Amino acid sequence: MNISSASAGDQAGTIVAENLTKVFFSTARVPGPLGAVRSLIHPRRVATTAVDGVGFRIEPGRLAAFLGPNGAGKSTTIKMLTGILTPTGGRVEVNGLVPHKARIANARLVGAVFGQRSQLWWDLPAIDSLRVLADIHGVPPAELRVRLARFDRILELSAFWDNRARQLSLGQRVRCDLAAALIHDPPVLYLDEPTIGMDVVVKEQVREFLREQVEQRGRTVVLTTHDMTEVERLAGRVILINSGRIVYDGDLDGLRATHADAQDPTDLEAIMRHAFTADTDQDLDTLDMEQAVPAG
Amino acid sequence: MTLAAIDPPQLQRQSRRQSQRAWRAARVTLLAEFNQWGRVGSVLFMLLARTCLCFWLWQALYRSTSTSAGMNRSQATTYALLGVFYMSFRSVNRWANRDMMVQHMLDGTIAYWFLRPVTPRRYYCVRALGDLAYGGAWAALAYTVCRSTGLIAAPVSAAAGLGAAGSLVLGLAILYYLQQLIDLACFWTVVNFQLVVMYGIVQNVLAGALVPLWFFPGWFVGFDRWLPFQGTLNVPLSLYLGVLPMSGLVRDLALQAGWIALLAVLTALVWRRAGARVTVLGG
Amino acid sequence: MSILNPLRTPGPADAGLPMRAYRSVRGTPARWALYGRITALNFKAQASYRGEFLLGLLFGLVWQGALVLFAGVLLLRFPGLGGWTQGDVLLIAAMRLLSHGGYVAFFPNVSNLSFLVQQGNVDGYLLRPLPLYRQVLLARFPINSLGDLLAGVGVFAVALARLDVAWTPVKALYVAAGIIGGMLVEGSLQTALSIAAFRFTGLATWTAWVDETLSTYGNYPLNVLPGAVRGTLTFGLPLAFIAYLPASIVTGHAGTTGVPAWLAAASPAVGLLLFLAVKAGWYGSVRWYQSPGG
Repeated sequence: MNISSASAGDQAGTIVAENLTKVFFSTARVPGPLGAVRSLIHPRRVATTAVDGVGFRIEPGRLAAFLGPNGAGKSTTIKMLTGILTPTGGRVEVNGLVPHKARIANARLVGAVFGQRSQLWWDLPAIDSLRVLADIHGVPPAELRVRLARFDRILELSAFWDNRARQLSLGQRVRCDLAAALIHDPPVLYLDEPTIGMDVVVKEQVREFLREQVEQRGRTVVLTTHDMTEVERLAGRVILINSGRIVYDGDLDGLRATHADAQDPTDLEAIMRHAFTADTDQDLDTLDMEQAVPAG
Repeated sequence: MTLAAIDPPQLQRQSRRQSQRAWRAARVTLLAEFNQWGRVGSVLFMLLARTCLCFWLWQALYRSTSTSAGMNRSQATTYALLGVFYMSFRSVNRWANRDMMVQHMLDGTIAYWFLRPVTPRRYYCVRALGDLAYGGAWAALAYTVCRSTGLIAAPVSAAAGLGAAGSLVLGLAILYYLQQLIDLACFWTVVNFQLVVMYGIVQNVLAGALVPLWFFPGWFVGFDRWLPFQGTLNVPLSLYLGVLPMSGLVRDLALQAGWIALLAVLTALVWRRAGARVTVLGG
Repeated sequence: MSILNPLRTPGPADAGLPMRAYRSVRGTPARWALYGRITALNFKAQASYRGEFLLGLLFGLVWQGALVLFAGVLLLRFPGLGGWTQGDVLLIAAMRLLSHGGYVAFFPNVSNLSFLVQQGNVDGYLLRPLPLYRQVLLARFPINSLGDLLAGVGVFAVALARLDVAWTPVKALYVAAGIIGGMLVEGSLQTALSIAAFRFTGLATWTAWVDETLSTYGNYPLNVLPGAVRGTLTFGLPLAFIAYLPASIVTGHAGTTGVPAWLAAASPAVGLLLFLAVKAGWYGSVRWYQSPGG
């Protein structure tokens, strides 16, 4: 970890990625019962490139959305930013730290919600989970009280946080998970498809919360989503990923301009279709390979 | 305080020390168990049933003979019942809490362990201590009740009692590290259901939980002596009953401590490799 | 044929067909062929976890071997248990092991029902046109069963060598029926217990406890235990019907069981009736099912 060489990237809330690459190795499955036996005795290893030389820089207090088809490498990128996955190549720096090297320090400065995976304890009332997590992060009780009250104001958690996690509805649980990810007030928040499967009302509530986090609290938020409305409401900046590469990085207006020949340049979904099918036409082989990617 | 005022390098220097309050995460065990009284009732019922069945079985076995393998009825019954209480240390049902390592692997929630200012290894330890404290309370309760009703014998001497207690603590540490290695296997095999059960059996047989080791042939006992398992149960119980003499206490404890040191180093190494192997399923 | 080549078809291939509900798979052979295919798929899925799979093959053998060791060591140290010869007691152990082997081949997933509920599998089963109980039984391939059966066959061979019984075809058939009955008793016990999984969590400790109790106390002539305990293990947790009572008929100890001889002899029937009753109760309890939240 070379702190002195990081100059402007030193600041809390900055995310820098350069030429980030991740290759997964998996065992190839041969179909048929004989194939199963063969893989049992002599497994064949296959390498798949999930993320292929991605680079970007996100400034403090900004929100950026990763967009792309399933298996494009969005989640893998986010997981490398969080430090959970170690990149195969390239450089990543978040809050001036290399996340996978300085895990503990990094953990104090980032929060994350991975889609439908909950970090709440399955059998505990959600509020108990939040308290235990606050202990793990060493949050003083007075600060915790203030923070919970603030989360409660927008997310209306107190209506259900006495219920056990397994009894919460999806929307309730993800809202609790948002609070859990922010319990230590980190400058950076990662969200991997946070609103997937939520109803419109809850979605709007979560967006409102995220907007407040970015605009008023000055948090850096990175999210992946398939929800075009969300992109239009929240994201000033979109990063389009396909087949592990960045195909567009900029604001929405620029994206519209690039794809002016799409069916309806005002309709973001039409633009997405245009962007991703155009890409696959050029590179059909890559897409076929992507479908075999285990994680992404 | 604004977020921009945070100075990451300074924070990194400070945070070499992990959060001290993280120890409070040990109370997850209690919160989960006391949240559903059915669980507590189950533990009580099973402890009671195991104790009674075990007691009557050994009483029955000794009906036609007074000593077997040099052990009398009281010694054999005491050993078997202490073995039952020892099982109570693992009273917590992590499966039901969806909190086994393998479940975190399958659910992908293991990712969050690596996003906390406490190493996964420390977190694992804190939670294990919580479980051990809860299970230990049951074991202590059962011991006290059976001791006061005379179902089991007292330690052969006060010194033997102390030696057995010390050896028990070391034995639990060995058990903790062995269990941890089994859990850590998940990072390589993803699922470890079979391994968990298989380990449970090997542990029970070689520790002498299933049958006191003195009923086994000599070659078996000689071979088992060099494995860590018998240090978890057979050593403390044999000290308690005077089967192992106090003169060998220092050597017995040293052997246990040696295993602890070895296993501690091994688990630390495995954790380091595990961190590089986190794959989040279906991401 | 254009139907076989969707690319040549102008619209969806079934455009002209009226919508209808498919009839579920009919007829016993077709059903079993389907179950066979599901089992083959399960086998493949589990074989992909290599180490686990190989361990699983070993596991049954080691576990039952350990329990036989337990019983064997005690038998050697304490001969003449309850007036039974070593060969007689070994017959109990062998019958129980074979019953258990059968149980592990057919019923092991019942004891995993709480896990299947937790993972949301039961939600999926309820949407498929197959009996729910059958789908639960087919949830995973019983890797362990091979080892369990091998352990059972081994002990049975030893018991046969030591037994002093004049074998007749009727006696042999009765032992076979007793083994199947024992399998059904164990299956009923775990099935009855699994009902709780529709509503509650924390079942795993109970299934493990029942398994452990049957494995530990199912190998002995129960007449060594005090009357009340024996009664509980006969009519409460009906462990006696698994191997002890049928073995007592074969070895001529029916008089010492404390159970009417006709009831002891009817053990296989007890197993069957118990299973049918429990299965009916199980289906009746599906309405209690609470899908896991979220």
